[in-house]
Amino acid sequence: MSAAVQETKAEAGAPLLQADGVSIQFGGLKALTDFNLSVRQGDLQGLIGPNGAGKSTAFNVLTGVYQPTQGEVRVGGQRVNGWLPHQINHLGLARTFQNIRLFRALTALDNVKVACRAQGALHPEGVGLGAKMKGAFINYRDWWRALLLTPRFQQEERELTQQAEHLLEVMGLSHRRDEEARNLPYGEQRRLEIARALGTQPKVLLLDEPAAGMNTREKADLMVLIRKLRDDFKLGVLVIEHDMKLVMGICECITVLDHGETIARGAPAQVRNDRKVIEAYLGDSYLESHGGAA
Amino acid sequence: METPAIPVPEARSAVPASLRGLLPVLLALPVLALFQWLMSDAPFASYLLSVVGVNIILAVSLNIVNGMTGQFSIGHAGFMAVGAYISGVLSLNLKDVALSFLPVAVSDQVFFVVSLLVGGLAAALCGFLVGLPSLRLRGDYLAIVTLGFGEIIRVVVQNTDAFGRALGLSGIPQTSSPAMVYFWVFLTVLVARRITGSSHGRSLWAIREDEVAAEAMGVDTTGYKVRAFVISSFFAGIAGALFAHFVPIINPGSFTFVKSMEIVVMVVLGGLGSTTGAIVAATFLTLLPEGMRSLFTLLGAEGSLAQKVDQIRMPVYGLLLVALMLARPQGLFGTKEIWDVLPRWIPRKRRGLA
Ligand SMILES: Nc1ncnc2c1ncn2[C@@H]1O[C@H](COP(=O)(O)OP(=O)(O)O)[C@@H](O)[C@H]1O
Ligand SMILES: [Mg+2]
Repeated sequence: MSAAVQETKAEAGAPLLQADGVSIQFGGLKALTDFNLSVRQGDLQGLIGPNGAGKSTAFNVLTGVYQPTQGEVRVGGQRVNGWLPHQINHLGLARTFQNIRLFRALTALDNVKVACRAQGALHPEGVGLGAKMKGAFINYRDWWRALLLTPRFQQEERELTQQAEHLLEVMGLSHRRDEEARNLPYGEQRRLEIARALGTQPKVLLLDEPAAGMNTREKADLMVLIRKLRDDFKLGVLVIEHDMKLVMGICECITVLDHGETIARGAPAQVRNDRKVIEAYLGDSYLESHGGAA
Repeated sequence: METPAIPVPEARSAVPASLRGLLPVLLALPVLALFQWLMSDAPFASYLLSVVGVNIILAVSLNIVNGMTGQFSIGHAGFMAVGAYISGVLSLNLKDVALSFLPVAVSDQVFFVVSLLVGGLAAALCGFLVGLPSLRLRGDYLAIVTLGFGEIIRVVVQNTDAFGRALGLSGIPQTSSPAMVYFWVFLTVLVARRITGSSHGRSLWAIREDEVAAEAMGVDTTGYKVRAFVISSFFAGIAGALFAHFVPIINPGSFTFVKSMEIVVMVVLGGLGSTTGAIVAATFLTLLPEGMRSLFTLLGAEGSLAQKVDQIRMPVYGLLLVALMLARPQGLFGTKEIWDVLPRWIPRKRRGLA
């Protein structure tokens, strides 16, 4: 992270998400090598690079889908190597997927409600035995409440619904409330994924190519929305985006990956003129379609 | 096809919130009493309806795992066997014990219920032991493990004197009644519906839809799968325990792989994920062989042909399943319930709480 950015965020304190020398290997393929990252509250960072550079892999390592072969991931100061994705999520890290992975047969509302419910506040799970026992107890109590349809349960259901409705509204999806996720147009599915991720009440939000497949106008709107989400929900945001122009427009700090290696990091202006970055993107025939403007 | 969004009104039913949990039970009890009274002079109908009820419990409970959660268990008869044998042996041993301060009939029922619960809990424990290691893994491990479990139970029973070996266990007190069977049918369905309508059910559906995404959204997928599996096993055990108390003899032949497949066919036929579908399919597939048997008897094919019904049962199921997969791969109702599928003039239930 550049010194300038570091200074403006000084008051935000310790990093909410940190990667230290993270590497992962698939067989002989080094998908990610010595990856470092630090996201604080209020950050809006970009992660870019040509196809196959290892961006999604980085997300998968950070969120616990893959285990790093080397290095350390910390969420809210807690080392999470070896943790399961849902446990990491409970610490306040939420994500979206490059290939949309909604619960297709569930309604838009239920998609968000799943996320709202699974939350740490309600299921204070950890990896320690004490936390596990407590989590198990709360879990069984909740099952009984649901089976007996207690007033408490009914109240909680209403609260969940309200919470989810609010998030749908924020993402401009209220009119799709009772529609199955699979029937939503593409752009709305992407926004529903963000609404769902917000349902888990994250501190850090990871967005994997949220604007993919959108038209220019939709993309621009989305970027404005992402900035608004960061401010309203007091998030740190890390965005993977293929469209360099877009990232340059809104991100304060950009990390560039190529073949799993971090080839550049810094403010947009700095990264844009980096020779390695230009080469990497030339190789990807990126500049062909963007006339070298990036 | 979807209706426009209408927010759920705060208090849409006239029933106070505190009563809604208990209301179905209060409504069911008099109905069951009436049912029992009607059935009291009809032993064959009682028997047939009890078999239907047991199969409904089996199908509805398997649907929690195979339908709602999207896993694939094919050893449900194994859990049924655990319930049947554990409660059967218990009842046999408690046969001559009675609570002196109660009338004999009531005392018998008390022991019967205790025995049922023990059978159910034993099956649930087996469900936990089988589910915990295999549900951590994705894919077809559960199918293989449950298949193995069913066979192990059969072998254990065949080689244990206390369980009557291959000959079977007879003399279990016949304390079951259609009312008791349908009380448990009612409980199973109520539990299935309430799971569906709760956040637990949504988490199960989410796992069925996309396990990776569910994990990423904070759902403890292994935990939910195991809990669904334990609940499902519990009711399979109850079904077995009920069964043991109204048939003259239980033997390993009642709990084979064929029985497991029969239950799977019921769930698939009804629609994976549809509780009412499971009920309809279980009823249909139980009465179908009976109907065929009666028909053959009526046609004068006493004995030989009527007995063949049991032998042609599996091929018929197989054909049914193939035909269904070709014509309607999602089953009768898909993931929907009967009231979502019925014609419009029947008032529809809103999606949501059961
Ligand atoms: N599970 C996996 N097994 C093997 N190789 C993988 C796996 N996931 C990703 N890779 C490889 O890692 C590299 C980086 O992929 P990815 O992170 O998806 O790139 P991108 O930057 O486009 O998101 C690719 O070569 C991809 O084939
Ligand atoms: Mg990618």
